[in-house]
Amino acid sequence: MKTSLKILAAVLMTALPATAQDVPGVTEDSIKIGVMGPFSGNASSYSKALVGMMAYYDKVNADGGVHGRKLVAIPEDTACDPSKGLAAAKKLIHQDEVFMLHGNSCSGVAVAVRPVVEEAGLPWLVAHAVSDSISVPLARNIFHGVPTGSANGRAMAQFVLSKPDTARVAIIEHSNDWAHSYSNPARDYLSENGVTPVVELTMERGQTDATAQVLKLREQKPDFIIAAIYEAETAIFLRDLKKYGMGDIPVMGTAGTDLENTLKRVGDFDTVKNYYVIHSYVDNLDGPKLEPVRQILAEYAPDEELSTFSFVSIGSAKALVAALEAAGPDLTRDKLIAAMEGIENFETGVLSEPITWSATDHQGVKGSAVAGFVDGKPAVLRAWNTPY
Amino acid sequence: MMPTQTQLLLRTLLFWAVPLLLLALPLVTNAYVQFIANSIVIFALVALGFNFVIGNLGQLAFANTALFGLGAYGSAILVNSFGLPWIVSIPLAGVAGAAGGFLASAAALRGIRLYYLAIITLAFGELMRWLYVHGKSVTGGTDGMGLPAQSLFGFSLTDDRAKFYIFLVVAVLLFKATLNILRSRVGRSVMAVRENEVATASLGIPTARIIVFAFMWSGFVVGCAGALFALHTSYVFPESFGMLHLIVSFAMVLVGGLGSVIGAVLGAAALTILPEYLRSFPGMEELFFGLIVIAVLLALPDGLASLLRKLSPIFVERYYRE
Repeated sequence: MKTSLKILAAVLMTALPATAQDVPGVTEDSIKIGVMGPFSGNASSYSKALVGMMAYYDKVNADGGVHGRKLVAIPEDTACDPSKGLAAAKKLIHQDEVFMLHGNSCSGVAVAVRPVVEEAGLPWLVAHAVSDSISVPLARNIFHGVPTGSANGRAMAQFVLSKPDTARVAIIEHSNDWAHSYSNPARDYLSENGVTPVVELTMERGQTDATAQVLKLREQKPDFIIAAIYEAETAIFLRDLKKYGMGDIPVMGTAGTDLENTLKRVGDFDTVKNYYVIHSYVDNLDGPKLEPVRQILAEYAPDEELSTFSFVSIGSAKALVAALEAAGPDLTRDKLIAAMEGIENFETGVLSEPITWSATDHQGVKGSAVAGFVDGKPAVLRAWNTPY
Repeated sequence: MMPTQTQLLLRTLLFWAVPLLLLALPLVTNAYVQFIANSIVIFALVALGFNFVIGNLGQLAFANTALFGLGAYGSAILVNSFGLPWIVSIPLAGVAGAAGGFLASAAALRGIRLYYLAIITLAFGELMRWLYVHGKSVTGGTDGMGLPAQSLFGFSLTDDRAKFYIFLVVAVLLFKATLNILRSRVGRSVMAVRENEVATASLGIPTARIIVFAFMWSGFVVGCAGALFALHTSYVFPESFGMLHLIVSFAMVLVGGLGSVIGAVLGAAALTILPEYLRSFPGMEELFFGLIVIAVLLALPDGLASLLRKLSPIFVERYYRE
């Protein structure tokens, strides 16, 4: 009789909805979210992305939270070091017992952490690191909330081919994986559209002169140049391009360079007037469309000096809040994952492309806008001569 | 004060009792604490190997992190490209580390010492890191190299608790071997070179060979630690073998006690645990870490091991020199 009662009780328990006490990191009034990022070390400037994201949590909390629960961020430092990142992930999962993870700059750390998070099964929304291998192959609980390297690389080539009569495309890049993560998807897109690069050149990091590369480019007479090189080398390359009379050839750069910073480095507008960069946002950083986000940052992170990184993770935070709302008050990890997979064409008001996750594709942002100078002022473009 | 025979016996008992007690550690840890414990075991070996050259041999050589990387990459390559079981890769990674140690000692063989040797071995470390980054077809480049899930006699080695037992056995073997070497004729020669190389040579001891041996043994220990690290993180990246890690390893040796075997364990434990405690101060960790290390070195110039020596003579290492 006693055994029968126990079985009956067990059956009734499983039929009941999950309560906050059953779900790690969720209480009646809070949701614990682990935020990993490089808060120290050489790459600590990336942590601005996570500071911006946590400022958005504060805004959500000030507005009453999600289903009455506050978003409680638990930041953990990775120092952009895979070993330290693993320790941070294990601490958040097994000691702090957070409900989910959100954030992560530094692809190397994210790739190293992936097996641990995948095994633990808690939702992880990657909000800054771009490596495709973080979210492919598909893991049920891992989502990408920013454009990945391949999305950006393809966006670069797409913009290049949107210029009428572009047939001769040249590529110049560093010989490292960062550069390849942009140039290889760009090559794929060019190939799909029947374009073979007329010349592919390497410029090594730290190089202070690009004469040899520029002279080779002059022989090939490209219509457009794709440049997967860091900002310092970009400034040198653009300078030498102008020096040898090729300043009118447009150059498409990566998200690793900033348009106005490049202008500052070069110090001459004429040199950068035909330079374009990947720009993941709906507007210039000081543009009117980003004013609401700037206000949030000013209110909830008043001491923070804003940079491009400050905005990048807020888009995924908005999508997360939408998914948490959709998951309902009886929050579980499975419900959140299901709700995230239901997010479709979600306009964040920050990222230039909407977020769509599905059960078969967790890379949510499929492209980026481009920034370039139009009439002497920085502008966000959807395609050649097409404002965003 | 030197230990008595009874105290020596106690010391031997203690050497075996500590790892035996540590066998129970996985019963009381969660995955995070266990991960930190595993890190301590690995970095204790890194500090032990580093200490052998800078503390016992007395040479200012900084190839340690490069040798650690050789072991880690060696293990990952042997597993991924040659299909060897990870456990087999441990001694082979040690051999790779020893070969790196041989190369790093080439400068010392040419009579280069102190600051000049320091610069050359630093350059060796940077060269190795360059190879890790640019040897993409072999090392995976900046993307790094993953280590597939491993098992031993049918037991999975994906869990940190299971890894701990293997790490502990390897560490005990290497610590015991190092202590035996230090007590042997070769070990005494190593320390004689540190005291006075010319006087040592005048006794007919081949100092050049002794120096090469010390670098190679250091490389072997650190190379084995590299293989453990590859399994520990399941991923090997060039960033794990940079200048910052070299500085931390150096600090482990100094904080533990230069030339002290016990100090290698204490230094590794202190400087692995400390940053974890400092996690509560995001953005201030580096400042606090630096201040605490400076404070320890000012208060205890002979390292944490000197505290134990004051506590009891059983912790006095036979050939340790303050």
